[in-house]
Amino acid sequence: MSEIVISGLSYTYPKAAKPSLQNVSLKIDSGAFAALAGLNGSGKTSLCLAIAGAVPHYYGGAMAGQVYTGEVKTTESGICEIANIVGLVLEDYESQLVTLTVEEEVAFGLENRGVEQSEINRRVKEALQMVGLSGKEKQQTAALSGGQKQRLAIASVLATKPQILVLDEPTSALDPEGASELYELLHRLNQDHKLTILVVEHDLSLALPFASQFILLADGSVEKAGSPAEVLQYMGSKQHYACSLPPLWQLKLGLEPEFSSFGDWKTDDEAANELIHCLEKLEAGKSA
Amino acid sequence: MLEFNNVSFSYHKNCPVVSDLSLTVNPGEYIAVVGRNGSGKTTLTRLIMSLVKPVKGTILFDGETTKKYAPADMARHIGYVFQNPSRQMFHDTAIEEVAFGPLQIGISKDDAIKQAKEALAKVGLNGYETAYPSGLSKGQKQRLAVASALSMAPRLLILDEPTSGQDQQDKALFLTLLDHLHQKGLAIILITHDMNILAEKVARTIVMCDGTKVYDGSTANLFQFHDVEKWGLKKPTAVTISHKLSPYGVSFSPTVDGLIAEFKANERGAVGV
Amino acid sequence: MFKVAPLTKIVFTMVVSLWAVALFSPLALSVVVGVQLLLMVLGRVEAKTYKATAYLALFAVFLFLLQYVFVPDTRLALVTGLKMMAMAMVFILVLATTRVQDLTAALVGQCRIPYEYAFMFTTALRFVPDFLSESRTIQEAQACRGYSTKGNIVKRMINFLAIVKPLVLRAISRSETMALSMELRGFGSQKRNIGSQVALGWHDYTALSGMVTVTLGIFLY
Repeated sequence: MSEIVISGLSYTYPKAAKPSLQNVSLKIDSGAFAALAGLNGSGKTSLCLAIAGAVPHYYGGAMAGQVYTGEVKTTESGICEIANIVGLVLEDYESQLVTLTVEEEVAFGLENRGVEQSEINRRVKEALQMVGLSGKEKQQTAALSGGQKQRLAIASVLATKPQILVLDEPTSALDPEGASELYELLHRLNQDHKLTILVVEHDLSLALPFASQFILLADGSVEKAGSPAEVLQYMGSKQHYACSLPPLWQLKLGLEPEFSSFGDWKTDDEAANELIHCLEKLEAGKSA
Repeated sequence: MLEFNNVSFSYHKNCPVVSDLSLTVNPGEYIAVVGRNGSGKTTLTRLIMSLVKPVKGTILFDGETTKKYAPADMARHIGYVFQNPSRQMFHDTAIEEVAFGPLQIGISKDDAIKQAKEALAKVGLNGYETAYPSGLSKGQKQRLAVASALSMAPRLLILDEPTSGQDQQDKALFLTLLDHLHQKGLAIILITHDMNILAEKVARTIVMCDGTKVYDGSTANLFQFHDVEKWGLKKPTAVTISHKLSPYGVSFSPTVDGLIAEFKANERGAVGV
Repeated sequence: MFKVAPLTKIVFTMVVSLWAVALFSPLALSVVVGVQLLLMVLGRVEAKTYKATAYLALFAVFLFLLQYVFVPDTRLALVTGLKMMAMAMVFILVLATTRVQDLTAALVGQCRIPYEYAFMFTTALRFVPDFLSESRTIQEAQACRGYSTKGNIVKRMINFLAIVKPLVLRAISRSETMALSMELRGFGSQKRNIGSQVALGWHDYTALSGMVTVTLGIFLY
């Protein structure tokens, strides 16, 4: 099982004046595609680090509560053991890359784990293929484009075969095509390889077509978690989240008071079809 | 105010980064520059700042060629806010940070501080004069970088991806700030990947693709009449849906609010007949 | 140079340096330089290697002139220039024909240098291009704020902080992220398996015996 279960998690960084996370309880099912939203400073990154065990193992500080990733309780395992289950792609993914060439980068985690050479070669090939970087094995890391570096960072965590993939603001440096491609990649990993995905995202419209769960953090606590529709309905009801709603839902919630209530739109096409249907009904009413 | 005449630029021979680019920026205009990463957007703005010089063609600012100017000379007229504002911050207080530019061009200390104070107020950071720049939030840092540019009293402000990495609230706040500056007569060139910003805020859009300008005109027309995906852009939600609803009598609108209004107008029309 | 093991190349580097120190004949030193040049051609190195070698040659000429100005002895000046050339060229040659990671593997596996130190070496190389591009970006960002490199030396030194401080801050944040990344990926665990194949083969033994012979030859005559 690769679910994430967090109960009563509070955490304060060393020397910090106030806690970054306060009494967070949360469950992300095995095979879920979860998107984590919230304003800057609401604790999104800290939560990612806690799931990967970097909080508290790497950062120290004061932590209360439990985080289970699969069977593993993070406070009772080493950071590297947790990394066997959780792959973490940091926001500053460029600095996450440590070696000179693409293939070494992917092999790095495996070499450290004492995996045999033939197995390393096989997995490097496999991981690069998964992210679409086949053929670039010998290239210098520094010569890759931003989007390629990010996919390399993903490949290098995939090589160790984690069951959970956590990405912190992966699209902030990508162009629209790059962002869509990344989400399609994550969708594939989620569907074909049964990876549980947790992605921190400001632009929820990117995650909306694929996500099975939204989590909204505010001031270090879970303000709302549930299906994307539940969370978006909630955000729509709060004035200060109005600008955070995906345009699709701004449209839906803007039309609903005057028209029938619509479905839980995930894509533009879905919405267009329903609106056309609505218009046809009005047209029929007119001619009748 | 600014004019590109058949400008080409390349780092290596036979590998042009920007080729045969012509455009005009008028005083007080608000222009968005969009396109894929690597399409030449940033090279365009680097050419404006004289960070790189054209290999072919001329760039005129106020009718004069910029060939002999260094970036520091251009900084007296044009403010440039880089992608990651923490790259340029090195002072202990916000006010010193903002006064850096004026001091560099030889303005007296008192005047520089005065200009810096005004600039901080313009971006809504009054009261933060003694704050430590690196301790500010992402959104505040970005506004501090804008203040640093404004303290030089520029007539044109260039921003490279200023909203990336900001949350939606900071983003909205930042865009309102740009609206205000624009209303006061400042010309703005905004490099962005955010199609919604484009549709909602900016009247004129320049699309770059493979180092050439492939579109320059009204943003509404861009989305209404062009297949923007071939240039690596994405249609905003309202545009996609608008296109699909147009056969049913709903007029085109590139913004969500506009689309809601059109939809309602269409319904009222239908009921009225 | 492409079939011998990295350890052999490390030995080669040291041996050539030793020769360069021990030899005083312009002819012999020229042979050492010539052989290295030949190895470069055989190893099909990239154009930038030749460029680096050309710069080195230029520097050697400069050294030759300098030596000649102080002590007008052509032979001595020639020897000085050639010595420097022979010694520095071997590093360029070895680095151009060996993957850095293989060198690291040899240093760790056969020279018994702790892995962490060897890794630091490769990581430093990894960051050179990033560091350069970062410092260029910062310079440009400050230039766009009116940053100037004019004025007296004191003013220039103070202004230089505008570049150095952001660069250092960025380097620190980078290294922190990198440390976390390495931790997450199991760096420092005891299970480590050195990936690259660096064992010695018959090529190496041949090459090594050749080197020993030449060295003995130089010292005996």
